[in-house]
Amino acid sequence: MNKALKNPALYVLFILPCLILFAMFFLYPIVSSIRYSLTSWNGVSSDPKFIGFDNFVKALTEKRFWTAVRNNGYFILFSCGIQVPLIVFFSLLIAHVKKLKGLYKTAVFLPSIMSTAVIGILWGFIYEPNIGLLNNILKVFGIEPLYWLSDEKYAMLSILITNAWQWTGFYIVMVLAAIISIPRELDEAAAIDGATAVQRAFSITLPLIKPIISVVIMLSIAGAMKAADIVIVMTKGGPAGSTDVMATYMIKYAITNFKYGYGNSISVLIFVFTLILTALYLLLIARRSERIEY
Amino acid sequence: MKMKRSLMLLISLCFAASLALSGCGSDNKSAGETGGGSAGTEPKTEEAQKAEPFELTLRHTQVGQDKEKRFAILQDVVKKTEGEIEGLTFKLDGVESDVNRKEKLRGEMAAGNPPDIFDLFGSPDSKVYAKEGKLLDLTPIIEELGIKDKFSSLEPFTYEGKVYGLPIGGSGEGFFYNKEYYDKKGWAPPKTFAELEEQLAAIKADGKVPMAAASKAGWVPLMLTNHLWSRYAGPDITNKFATGEAKWNDPNMVKAFAKHKEWVDKGYFKKGELGFEYAEYTTQFTSGEAILMYDGTWKSSVFKQGESGAGMIGKVGFFNLPPVDGGVGDQTALMRDVNNGYGFSSAVAKDPRKLEAVKVFIKNMFNEEMQIRGLVEDGVLPAMKLDASVLESSITDDLMKQIVDVLNSAQSSFPAFDSLVQADVTTEISNIQIQKLIGNQTTSEKMGEALQKAQEEANSLEE
Repeated sequence: MNKALKNPALYVLFILPCLILFAMFFLYPIVSSIRYSLTSWNGVSSDPKFIGFDNFVKALTEKRFWTAVRNNGYFILFSCGIQVPLIVFFSLLIAHVKKLKGLYKTAVFLPSIMSTAVIGILWGFIYEPNIGLLNNILKVFGIEPLYWLSDEKYAMLSILITNAWQWTGFYIVMVLAAIISIPRELDEAAAIDGATAVQRAFSITLPLIKPIISVVIMLSIAGAMKAADIVIVMTKGGPAGSTDVMATYMIKYAITNFKYGYGNSISVLIFVFTLILTALYLLLIARRSERIEY
Repeated sequence: MKMKRSLMLLISLCFAASLALSGCGSDNKSAGETGGGSAGTEPKTEEAQKAEPFELTLRHTQVGQDKEKRFAILQDVVKKTEGEIEGLTFKLDGVESDVNRKEKLRGEMAAGNPPDIFDLFGSPDSKVYAKEGKLLDLTPIIEELGIKDKFSSLEPFTYEGKVYGLPIGGSGEGFFYNKEYYDKKGWAPPKTFAELEEQLAAIKADGKVPMAAASKAGWVPLMLTNHLWSRYAGPDITNKFATGEAKWNDPNMVKAFAKHKEWVDKGYFKKGELGFEYAEYTTQFTSGEAILMYDGTWKSSVFKQGESGAGMIGKVGFFNLPPVDGGVGDQTALMRDVNNGYGFSSAVAKDPRKLEAVKVFIKNMFNEEMQIRGLVEDGVLPAMKLDASVLESSITDDLMKQIVDVLNSAQSSFPAFDSLVQADVTTEISNIQIQKLIGNQTTSEKMGEALQKAQEEANSLEE
């Protein structure tokens, strides 16, 4: 048996199934996507026409594509700038709650197990201009009804709020696990030394959960770059394309228009942008957070 | 112990592999048998082969309460076909119409795995698929069944002289109106454009919503815009965009866009329309909130017993958009087409049993009886030529009678714009321009120019 394990061919044999799956479902699609991104292809014909980088030039010079990129940017800014602080805040609160901790955890986690379609419809009712919850609340304060999803000014914000609501709970549970795993003695020692709760949160808990926050941020960035379902369910990219993100832009201008070559070039661009962003984040920020040793 | 564990692992791996292989094996066997059947094996095996179960996938778009009646008709056809072909089961797959047409089916065609039978849009979709050999040529089948000349038009589904799809029904578009409200006001359906506008203003002044609106999907408001531009610029102008004979920024086109915008600005449509789904369009009308609703004749199925608009049975009427003063061409024309139906995957031809099943499906689906059922139960106009007396005796519903009268009194008709212009142009107008116009982010002139630009780009790609 030991002899067998020394045989390199056996190792190859063992990793082969994984390698085949990896090649089939990851490498092949990427390579074929790159190949088709250089063609003019209607998705149906058997002979795509090679056109070089024309698709990329078209996308990068198209104003609407940049609107979509900008909207992806809003997703990232909103999740990193507003959502992450909220996640940390609520995690700290829940971690220090004495009673019903399980209930709070379940309650915040609930939205992330619901399907996006359900959430879209649910929030569609909240944003409904005539009978929606939000406008009813505004009415109490004498504010005229706002057209959340049909007004260009508010449509993107409405989607961002819904998206944040959906995913906050998921990340809270992650951060919560990190907080709970911090040895209690550290917190208690600080308390005995007279540190207030706020001081303990900022000086002890936060530095210790930095690595997990960093993971949350990275996942948020990756999630923001590929966002599509929530936009499709809530606004279909409208009104007039103002809430299109890169993925919905791809569906609208490629798939529905029989332009699969162009669609593939957009998908390659999304891939490249995401790669650059996450690599930058890892290199510039995440690397700096040191390993934690208690 | 270690040895034992690895042995167990090996055995379970072998077991899993043999399971997987046997799965493939049985598949090969059935394929082999199908091929061998025609080679003249013993009669016993032939019988056994006939009874061997096989499946046809059928993509339909009859989802939701408003399409229940149409779904019931489809289910009857499916059952009847299953009864006639031994071993056949249909696997039904319901998908919302717009999603099927613009996303799902296109993706499946690209991947090369469309369902065996699917809901298909005639022009321009079927031509793109037919050109690439993705659709089954139905010409020999409909000739064999003797129904080739029974259809009022197969043009949208014809490519290079061959038929690749069959329309299930026809449709027209016009205004549905709240008859009760009109009677209370002592009004009749408007005969002139000025009269229509007076009524709209009066309804608005009355605190009601003159016209239902739900423009999250651009095609909904565009039904009316399409009719407006066909009045102002002529019913045949849309034909000429793709050939370059006419332009979207033609002054008469701009007038039509301006009229739509004027109505939006005057508050004649339900406010916040860009955030509403098509389903809400009907609700605005059936709840009595909106007095008019511009929609296709298919909507009449809602005003039947047990449907969402049952409360309005007998209280709904239908009229054509009145003539525009100084308009171009026939001022009675309305949108009318037979562009929606069923198509079949070309892969079906490789399996004689599937091909036979498709033939029986067509026989059961496209006949006088089903066309009348579609008309009576579902309010879908027939796509096949029916005997005038049969037609008359089957329409008992007042609304349907009025719809047929309106359609018959129109001297000409035009197809919907999206069957005449390229997909790029359709995307530009329905996803961007019409929503911009409604959302007050563009002017009618700019809209015309932007559309013409998209049209020229699309035309140049085709050359």
